[in-house]
Amino acid sequence: MKSHDLIIVGAGLAGMRAALEGVKNKIDVAIVTKIHPLRSHSCAAQGGVNAAIDERDSRDSHAYDTVKGSDYLGDEDAIELMAQTAPEAILEMDRMGCPFSRLDDGSIAQRPFGGASFDRTCYAADRTGQVMLHTLWEQLVKAGVEVYEECQVLRLVTDADKKVSGVVVYDIKTGDLFPLKAKGVLMGTGGYGRVYLHSTNATSNTGDGMAMSLRAGAPLADMEFVQFHPTGLLTSGILVTEGARGEGGYLINAQGERFMSKYAPNKKELASRDVVSRAEQTEILEGRGENGAIFLDLRHLGAKKILEKLPQIRQLTIDLEGVDPIHKPIPVRPTTHYSMGGIRTDKYGASPLPGLFSAGEAACVSVHGANRLGGNSLLDAVVFGKLTGEAACEYVSTAKQGDFPMSALEQVRQQIQELIERENWGLRPIELHARMAAVMNAYVGVYRDGDGLKTAVEQLPKLRKDYKLIHIDDKSKSFNVDLLRALELGFLIDLAECIIKGAAARFESRGAHSRTDYKDRDDENWRKHTLANWDEDQEQIALSYEEVRTVGKEAYTPKERVY
Amino acid sequence: MAVNLYTFRIQRNTPREDGTLETRWQEFRVEAEPTSTVLTALEEIKGHQDGSLTFRQSCRSAICGSCAMKINGRTRLACKTHVADAVKNGIVEIAPQANQPVLKDLAVDIRPFFQRVHKIKPYLQEGDETDTNVGKSAYEQVNHVTQCIMCGCCYSDCTMAEVSPDFLGPAALAKAFRFVSDPREGAKSERLKDLSDPSGMWSCARCAMCVEMCPKDVAPMEAIVKLRTRGVDRDYHDGAGQRHALAFHTDIQKTGHLNEFTLLMRTVGFWGTLAEMGSALHLIKKGKAPSPFPHKAAGHDELKRMYEIIENNPLDVETKADERPPE
Repeated sequence: MKSHDLIIVGAGLAGMRAALEGVKNKIDVAIVTKIHPLRSHSCAAQGGVNAAIDERDSRDSHAYDTVKGSDYLGDEDAIELMAQTAPEAILEMDRMGCPFSRLDDGSIAQRPFGGASFDRTCYAADRTGQVMLHTLWEQLVKAGVEVYEECQVLRLVTDADKKVSGVVVYDIKTGDLFPLKAKGVLMGTGGYGRVYLHSTNATSNTGDGMAMSLRAGAPLADMEFVQFHPTGLLTSGILVTEGARGEGGYLINAQGERFMSKYAPNKKELASRDVVSRAEQTEILEGRGENGAIFLDLRHLGAKKILEKLPQIRQLTIDLEGVDPIHKPIPVRPTTHYSMGGIRTDKYGASPLPGLFSAGEAACVSVHGANRLGGNSLLDAVVFGKLTGEAACEYVSTAKQGDFPMSALEQVRQQIQELIERENWGLRPIELHARMAAVMNAYVGVYRDGDGLKTAVEQLPKLRKDYKLIHIDDKSKSFNVDLLRALELGFLIDLAECIIKGAAARFESRGAHSRTDYKDRDDENWRKHTLANWDEDQEQIALSYEEVRTVGKEAYTPKERVY
Repeated sequence: MAVNLYTFRIQRNTPREDGTLETRWQEFRVEAEPTSTVLTALEEIKGHQDGSLTFRQSCRSAICGSCAMKINGRTRLACKTHVADAVKNGIVEIAPQANQPVLKDLAVDIRPFFQRVHKIKPYLQEGDETDTNVGKSAYEQVNHVTQCIMCGCCYSDCTMAEVSPDFLGPAALAKAFRFVSDPREGAKSERLKDLSDPSGMWSCARCAMCVEMCPKDVAPMEAIVKLRTRGVDRDYHDGAGQRHALAFHTDIQKTGHLNEFTLLMRTVGFWGTLAEMGSALHLIKKGKAPSPFPHKAAGHDELKRMYEIIENNPLDVETKADERPPE
């Protein structure tokens, strides 16, 4: 049986950055990824990455903004670590060759972003994620890290002592199923945006790593906190960067009114994302939208600035929405964008399940709490990719390889076999996905309430029952995407349950979780993380709670968030 | 917006047990808006008509590079191509990328493409030529080529890759240019020397297909031309491609005419010329053999002045991205 000391699942920014630590520490490390590293969704991040590299800025201010942005649910130790490490992480990317946009003197350019008290978002035009991803891939090639490309991990395997001992891998290219032993596994599998109908996310963002970790015995935290980005394109949900507002773009309603001054008189369009998305949703619900959208107006920026700072956005809007932002406002709406929740870890990315680590969007460290600030996700990925990589290397250098029970491989083989041989009952995976996603959008969207959430909870058993009835057309071995999507849908249903139940049980409004029946934040009872654990006997999740990690600073004392 | 009925004619490729492919064409009918993307239509077919239809995709926004495929004979990103722009005589014809082995239906084996990218050492290297002083303008060229998302559209439509499997191809060469033009790169000359090899920058036929097909405006051929200029500037003349270009240059400057009679000799040498004798005899038979006697072209003085202007106002191929013609 093939084995590595450390297996990293996912080759986005977090996974690749962690792998470089493995090489540095001379650990036998390998990456398993279902898509080529350069296809990873980190590439779709547009606007930028935060770091206090300007001498007029401060790392403390970055930490403070992030604590406030998290609506006081972020773990303060982890937030401080991220803000303190940020400048070094960015300068390191720069040294690796990352082509950040520059000022005239050659220093890295920065732009304003939502919820930040300083213009601290470093960028490369409007394709920051793409250049960072390509730069880390270059380093990965240079370091010669072994990558199992187009290989889907289908199960996280533990030994008799409930310690991680490997993964079950499905080679998409050949259809072969094989075991990979490891002392440690690091999940860098990204988020779960595809649980929803309209999403800025790639179709590959199915939260596989989270769902597998949940089933293997690790807790997922704060899953009910789902970020809705204020500017997803109306038709496709494709992202229009917050940088568009950072460069001076306005949000207007169907009457042409610049409405954000009503909701966030100081920061207006650059309030934090949860605030802006709620404002938009309110405008739409109160009849001041058009076809369920409001508008992002860039016309006053002029053609020159749009072409220089937002060229990709302009092309995307023309290609996908048929609108040239130089001449017309862009129809946008709040769109599922980012998973604040994920695999619960300490501030070095270690989960409570021995041998399991996680970084990036897949993890809940938690630096984003109830609401992530724009520009903090790329940062989270590279900072905690590195730190978690280090921690995982340290763990595997002393840990003993646990037994790999072949029964795990056999169970996955049977699951695949059963799906392939299943009769056609007339239910296609895409139909069940649409039904689940419609429930999520209707009841667990920007605004939530008790009745809606109760309805959503009631849908879960039916979704699970019907999942056993979906059929696939493709019975072949090579490149069976049909089969993969059916398996991914299983992961998504587990995550939907965590989101729905977490939201239904949280009787307050905080960050991205906004309940019309509990409008206020309730620090006394609810300043705590939701943990979802898989209950094997009941075949459903069970909730528990955990205190926020605080550092006792006066500045971090919860207060009303005003932007 | 109006919904139309479109016919998609899709190449289906099914791997057989012995490793060969069974290829057939299958038609599907899809209702779509004219501004819907080809990818949306393919997803509609896969989701609701035939789940076994196989293609790669991920981001849906032209940034991950997964969904390059032949759409009406040209390689494009399915997520960026409108159905109305892809339809011809009522049919949208879809096939896998060319110049790469097909795995199944529209999915090709991307490894040979990436092996070429790996060959150019796709990472910044420390070395003697590392410049730590990085100005804003130094980034303009780097920025341009870093728009590449490695989707493979250029390689699939590359006319040279079709006949010369060893050719590194436009994407890999554009990536090489990204490092050669980065002031922080420490081994610029060594790279240019390596790229002067027969499978490198001189193998491009400059057909400009890659410039036309690139969905991200990387213009790989322009990068290749700049690489050549830098290679020649560093005196890496030893190769048929370089000698051919220099022979052209010398003739035109001297007489305004290309001396085709001696061009072959100067490009591929004596033995190479001997090997081409068959073709030469064929040309003589058809009366197409060039005159062996050089003569000056009319208006050669004007040409000389043009050369002088260009030589006094050299293009800055090291830093500036935009090329203004000399005043």
